This record gives sequence, C-alpha cells and structure tokens, in this order.
Amino acid sequence: MATYSPGRRRVVIALALTSLFLLTLDLRGNQVLDGVRSGFGVVYRPINRAGEVVSAPVVRLWRSFREFDDLEEENRQLRAEIDAQRSAEISAQNAIIENQDLLALAGLESLASYGSVTGRLVGQSPSNFDQQVEIDRGALHGIRVGMAAINEAGLVGKVTSVAPQSSIIMLVTDPSYAVPVKILAAKEEVPAAATSTTVLPVADSDGTAVAANEASDEEGTEGVSETTTTVVDIIRETGVLRGQGSDRLPRVSFIASASAFGQIEVGDTVFTAGGSTSLAPPNIPLGRVLNVITRAGTAGQELEIEPTADLDRLQFVRVVLYQPASEVGQ
Amino acid sequence: MNDVPARVWVTRTVLVGFVVLSLQMTIATEIRVLGVVIQIVLAFAVAAGAASGPGEGAKAGFVLGLMYDLASGLPLGSTTMSMTFGGYAAGWGRQYRLEPTWWMLAALAAIGAAVGEVFVPIIRVLTGETGVFDARIAIVLPVVALSAGMLSPVLIPIARWALVIRPAEVRVADADT
Repeated sequence: MATYSPGRRRVVIALALTSLFLLTLDLRGNQVLDGVRSGFGVVYRPINRAGEVVSAPVVRLWRSFREFDDLEEENRQLRAEIDAQRSAEISAQNAIIENQDLLALAGLESLASYGSVTGRLVGQSPSNFDQQVEIDRGALHGIRVGMAAINEAGLVGKVTSVAPQSSIIMLVTDPSYAVPVKILAAKEEVPAAATSTTVLPVADSDGTAVAANEASDEEGTEGVSETTTTVVDIIRETGVLRGQGSDRLPRVSFIASASAFGQIEVGDTVFTAGGSTSLAPPNIPLGRVLNVITRAGTAGQELEIEPTADLDRLQFVRVVLYQPASEVGQ
Repeated sequence: MNDVPARVWVTRTVLVGFVVLSLQMTIATEIRVLGVVIQIVLAFAVAAGAASGPGEGAKAGFVLGLMYDLASGLPLGSTTMSMTFGGYAAGWGRQYRLEPTWWMLAALAAIGAAVGEVFVPIIRVLTGETGVFDARIAIVLPVVALSAGMLSPVLIPIARWALVIRPAEVRVADADT
C-alpha cells in the first residue's frame, strides 16, 4: 500500500516553516504572540487546576510510595542538624543585624532593601530539557521578567516569563542560566600565640589587599609580639555561574584571566555579585564550591558549585522585586 | 480525515489536547521514570500519526505542539516543530500497511516519539542554546519512546475519535458502494 504523496510532504514542510516563523517571531519578541500566550493561559488555567485536583491523590500516593524511607532518614538527620545549628543561628542573626545596620549606615544596598513577593509552586517544566518551575504570582503582583527568585537557602533562579497571575522561573541548573557571582574564601592564619584582635584585609583577584586596614601590618606586628592577632584573609573572585542541566552541577568560570589560582578551595562560599547589569542583586547566597577543576593551558580554573537551595523540593519561592539600574533606565 | 471539515478535527484535537496537556503538567512531571518526564502530549501526537498517516500526524503534532509551547512558556514553535516531525515520522510507516496490528502501531508510536524528542535539543541548538545535548539523552530517548509505545493502545482510539478516522473496513465498504 506504499503511496508516494507529494501533498503530504508539502503539508509537513509548510507546518515546519510555520513553526520556524513562529519561533523567529517569538525569540525576537512579539506583542501579538505574547497576547496569544496570555489569552491561552487564561483559558488553560482552570483546566490545569481541575487536572491538579483530579491527579492530586495519584501524585500523593506516588510520592508517599517513593519518598517514605528517604524522608524518614532525612528527618532524623535534619533533627540532628537543627540541634547543631541552633546556637550558630543566634550568633548568625546577630551578625546579620549588625551587617544590615552597617550597610544602612554606609548607605549601601542589601537584600533587605528590596521588596519581595512570595509565590507557591504550581507546576514544573513538562520538558526533559528545561529546568523551570511555575509559581502562582505574576505581573499583577509586581513581578517582571528577569527578577531573581530565592528561597530561605539562597538563589533559586530568575523569572523568564510573566503572565498576569503566574510566572515561570528558570532554575540555576538550566543550561541557559547565567549570573555574575563572587567567591568568598576566608583563610585563617593563626599565629603561634593566642589571639585577641581580628584584622580583615580583602584581597583582589591578584592577591593584593584592597580594603585592608592601612595599619594592619603595624597592628599585626604588634599583635604577634605583644597582643597577638588572628588574620582572616578574604579572597574575592568574580566570575560567571552557568547552569549545566539537571544532572550536573552549575559551574563558575572566571571573567579575569588572572584569577587567584590555587587560592579557592572546596567549601568556599558563592554569592551573587550584583552590578548595574546583573539581574540579581548582590550578596544572595548561591552555594559552596564542591570541586575545583584546573584546566590545561590558559583556560584557567572552573568551579563546580553545589547550590544551597534544594531545587528538587521547592514549595515556595520569593521573587525579589529588584531591577538593575540598566533595566530601570529603559 | 480528508473529507472531514478542519474545524471538526481541530476542535476535537484541541479538546483532547487540553486534557492530555493537563495530565502532562500534573502527573507526568511528578511520576518520572529514571528521572525522565514521560511525554504524554508527544505520545498523543504520534498516536495520531500511527492511527492515520504522516500528513494527519504532522497536523495533529502541530496543533498539540503549539498548545504545549503556549502552556509551558517555551519559545513558540520549538516543541511545535518537534511534535510535527514526530507525528509525521509515526505516520510514515503507517502508509505501508492498511490495517497494522496493535504492536506495529505501538512500534510506530515509539519511533515517532523518539524522532520528536530528539528534535527538541536539535531545535534548541539551532536557536542558540548550549548544553542541551548531553549524555542524558541516552536515557531520555528510550524512556520517552517506550512510554509512547506503551500508551499507544489507549491513545490511538482517542486519536481516531479526535481526527475522525474511520476503521479500514468501513472505508473499503464505502469505496465499494
């Protein structure tokens, strides 16, 4: 029954070309298509809600079957961790308050300076090639494309699409995600004698101190000989973090070729760098360095980062209502 | 389907598409196999192709892919194109046999789903995305193809209703009269 049908081929070619045309229009940004998408969302939302209600028992059953043992074990571990962290939390809270006071005093912005909107996760990406989630807050709540999404643990991703009542957030693990970051590494050098004074020199990528107390050398000398001192040397490196897909950890590659080679180690902390063009405000915790990859030649180092936010178990996400100066200007 | 007005099959396909899309967004994203999201919408598009032929499969894939892109916030046209090719591929083998057995249809659906899914990263690469092609595709493709094949006995009758396709014996009888 083999039948050659040029008509069929014409149909598939016409459909493929139409798809290509739509793709080009959408990637370049088209208000008509945005309107169509928004209208479709309005029609589809009640159907999806009904689907959620109908499928909820099945999903719960599946989750309880799959996760019960893991949850029990995790619960035990978390209880132990909570006990261990209780005392650390009190001193951390104190440090945060002091830090915010100092930033306010110096007229610098901190994360607490920006408003935020908390949304509940209502969906995940249906595709095998995207790491996205959908929340139930949108343009009507002040959310705009590009805003950073965080949770209690740290950076989660950024808003890539906004409807009136919902938004889509691209997670930091998505291959298309990129954000400027800084790596802070505190290296403690404790002199032989006991300590009583702390000096905090901040080293730039080439290792030279840029914000150190000018008298630190003198104090340091005095400290060793008389009062004794703990020197906490903070290394600050700036790079770009890029997602690598769901099964791989995000990686940081450095902007400056003269990175503090060999000074960044496993366990160092990663924060957003901020800046006038970065979509994320500065100082949002992102994760810890899990692997330092040394590449051959002039390629320099690359870091594998373990995000602090558990992206597999997101329930609520906070969208920071921050837009960089470059966006606000537009 | 050729004799049926377009508005009839488009309306039916869109209606079924909403239900399938809803299942895709809720159950399929939760119940993953080896970490892979089963593509129910793609499975329906290839079932339509396996049930009716390449042209119809491509048309159904186009409509369903468009809905998928609109609902998921992906660039409009990306999944549309992959599902169009998936539906076409599933229907391509269909034209060589008047009334294939259920397992032949399942095999066609699986092949179509594999073709459709492999086009997703290809199209992403063409639009400038990087990092979408990795070793994980070796797990994604078999799971998506196998699940589409397994779902085909359920989805093909629904696809026949949506695309208004009559069984072969009825078509032959009509031709005789």
